[in-house]
Amino acid sequence: MQGWAGNILDINLTSGQIETVPLDRDMARLFLGGRGLGARLLWDLVGPEVEPLSPENVLIFTTGPITASASQTSNRFNVSTKSPLTGTILHANSGGWWGMQFKRTGYDALIVRGKAASPVMIEITPAGVAIKDAAHLWGKGVFETTVALEQNRNKRNVLCIGPAGENRVRIAAIMNDKERSLARGGAGAVMGSKNLKAIVVEGLEKNKPADPDQFKFMLYETGKLLKASPLTSQALPEFGTAVVMNVVNEIGALPTRNFQQSQFEGADKISGEEITDTILVKNQACWACPITCTRITQTKSGKEGEGPEFESAWAFGAQCGIDDLDAITEANYQCNDLGLDTISMGNTIGCAMELAERGLLANDLGFGRADRLPGLIHDTAFRQGIGDDLAEGSYRLASKHGAPELSMSVKKLELPAYDPRGMQGQGLVFATGNRGACHETGNMLGPEVLALPRLIDRFATQGKAGIVSVHQNSAAVIDSLVYCKFANMAVAEEFFARTLTAVTGEHFTADDLMMVGERVWTLERLYNLREGFSKEDDTLPARLLHEPVPAGPSEGFTVKLAPMLEEYYAFRGWDKNGVPKPEKLKELSLEFVMEVVHD
Amino acid sequence: MIDQRLYEEFRDIGRDIFVTGLTSSHGGNMSVRVGDKIIIKRRGAQFGRLKHSDFVVTNFQGKDSGIVRASTELIVHRAIYEKTSALAIVHAHPRTAIVLSLSRDEIIPIDNEGSYLLRKIPVVTVELASGSKEMAEKVSEALRGYKIIMQRGHGCFAIGQTLEEAYHWVSALEEVSDIILEHKLLGEEMIEYRKHSESYAKW
Repeated sequence: MQGWAGNILDINLTSGQIETVPLDRDMARLFLGGRGLGARLLWDLVGPEVEPLSPENVLIFTTGPITASASQTSNRFNVSTKSPLTGTILHANSGGWWGMQFKRTGYDALIVRGKAASPVMIEITPAGVAIKDAAHLWGKGVFETTVALEQNRNKRNVLCIGPAGENRVRIAAIMNDKERSLARGGAGAVMGSKNLKAIVVEGLEKNKPADPDQFKFMLYETGKLLKASPLTSQALPEFGTAVVMNVVNEIGALPTRNFQQSQFEGADKISGEEITDTILVKNQACWACPITCTRITQTKSGKEGEGPEFESAWAFGAQCGIDDLDAITEANYQCNDLGLDTISMGNTIGCAMELAERGLLANDLGFGRADRLPGLIHDTAFRQGIGDDLAEGSYRLASKHGAPELSMSVKKLELPAYDPRGMQGQGLVFATGNRGACHETGNMLGPEVLALPRLIDRFATQGKAGIVSVHQNSAAVIDSLVYCKFANMAVAEEFFARTLTAVTGEHFTADDLMMVGERVWTLERLYNLREGFSKEDDTLPARLLHEPVPAGPSEGFTVKLAPMLEEYYAFRGWDKNGVPKPEKLKELSLEFVMEVVHD
Repeated sequence: MIDQRLYEEFRDIGRDIFVTGLTSSHGGNMSVRVGDKIIIKRRGAQFGRLKHSDFVVTNFQGKDSGIVRASTELIVHRAIYEKTSALAIVHAHPRTAIVLSLSRDEIIPIDNEGSYLLRKIPVVTVELASGSKEMAEKVSEALRGYKIIMQRGHGCFAIGQTLEEAYHWVSALEEVSDIILEHKLLGEEMIEYRKHSESYAKW
């Protein structure tokens, strides 16, 4: 293969039918792969009449044209489905080894439909594709399942769910390669609803570049910039993603105790520096990645595993008022084994803590209660006691107890580790996120804090919409290729375009890619409009719009969302209600969604 | 329409472009995209002395009487915003780069910094050199693959997410060009120190 394998594997778990269908090359050119291809296929397969946890929903696993090419960070893959947490379109992607291995089986995508009568797994190897019994694995954790299915780093790779997915927890993740995660939005629950425990892949095919000389040159140039960037060559390898903990805290944008404050007094105790100094055993890299940001850690009790990443350290740390790094790290391990999204889990526990402190939830929970984390996480995965409410995510939890405004979520997806009152552009990113509040779909940490590509005023609003839109489009195309966003800290889209050209033999410019990003973003928007979402959903929790930050460098600020949103719709060529105009759809070759606009 | 923060960015970068000799007193122009509008320097305003009144807010596309005051090159700026993901544009007249553009179809840096930042700057030829449709088309098309390009004998167009970013490419281009010219004047053979440098021509 040169870029695309040209095949889609289509499996119906209800009937047991296994089919290989050709990849539509025009579709591939327009949407590339990964998140883009997933969204395009989902548009046709899952309409507004489909309940997310019903057999009619589908799971679509996708790789991109550069996957498995050995271009730096070309290991990632995507899953697309309708989210049981948000009801929106959902995409989630992950690194590790599974994505590369799946591509080597000779498929660009795997569509899983229907529901098996009893627990099953799918095995894709050079010997063929088979649906196998997995009853003996049902109820087991991710770690045990991965070992039982003989995970073998670069030869045989396991993707599976834990008990959380089996129990249809709305914040359940799909895990791969033991501790990597397709985390957000509850894709694990969709997999559980299909009685699908695992997908095991072994592949032999190679993604060989069409232009080997140009590919070699791009490898060299990309490697040079990754080595030259202090972020990708020093900060991330040395301290992991939590390197930004102290940075975000210092500017007053680290949400604390369910976003009641924006600075955490214990930030240094849960920072990347502290992780490196106290619990780090070694670094680890995903396939074909020189950055090595993964932390292999060990706590005082002798437990060992991956993490915590910045977001996880924040979610069980500042968000819950906890500065006990061992407790946070073990909470992270526990979520990995049970198959839970750490951001939503920690954020939801923080919400429960505030509900309890305000007397709205009859429980002795409170901020700082590190001792309660293991029990709450376990009970969530198994839907026991209060865990049955936590398993619904923070919005449904807070609504049940009469205070939906205490859920720090957008479109019911829990916010990640940035207080947008101290980063106005980030507020617009969260409010307009197609899968809800998300830092992976246009993170403004780059321009508003890290000076990537240039430092802009984090409190300014004029002109922000354009920068947010470009970052959203860029993230969408990176997720469609599929690359890692950290590579983008050192190399820009012009590198991705030239590498894609070398791999596929088809010419792409940087702006061709940016147009793909805009196309993907707009299609996702249309999907949500078709589901009944509207301008009213492009908003933030009331706390962030009306409660000024009480102290610190962001003191007195709320998010000035309305003017940014108006500018955003105008920039994107959408009308005042946030609906893409017909001429914009035509420009993006999205005429097939026109009926949604006209309705 | 133009807020104080954005005005100060225009003013400071305009002054820097002029004092570093990247354009003459009244030559060149710059703009940013805000929503579906373009904020562009008015025609004839001095780069080094920009005032609040020196800006025109005009529609992203088409009919707008604001064009009577806008820069001659507005048509080019519009085309660039339409065809690329640029959020800011700087057009200047860096003299050494113009000299090189008179005899080359591309400027390939020989210094380390310029190689990292730019790799190659294509040179496009336009018969009607100011504010023409031909110019808008050729310049915007070239910028789909590059962040800065030269128009032969005229000047450069650079794009970025901010004015500062676009200005950086202009400043880097002139440094690159000075080094090429001075090395050529020195007349000594270059000792290549960059692996795969022959591939920059294909960038």
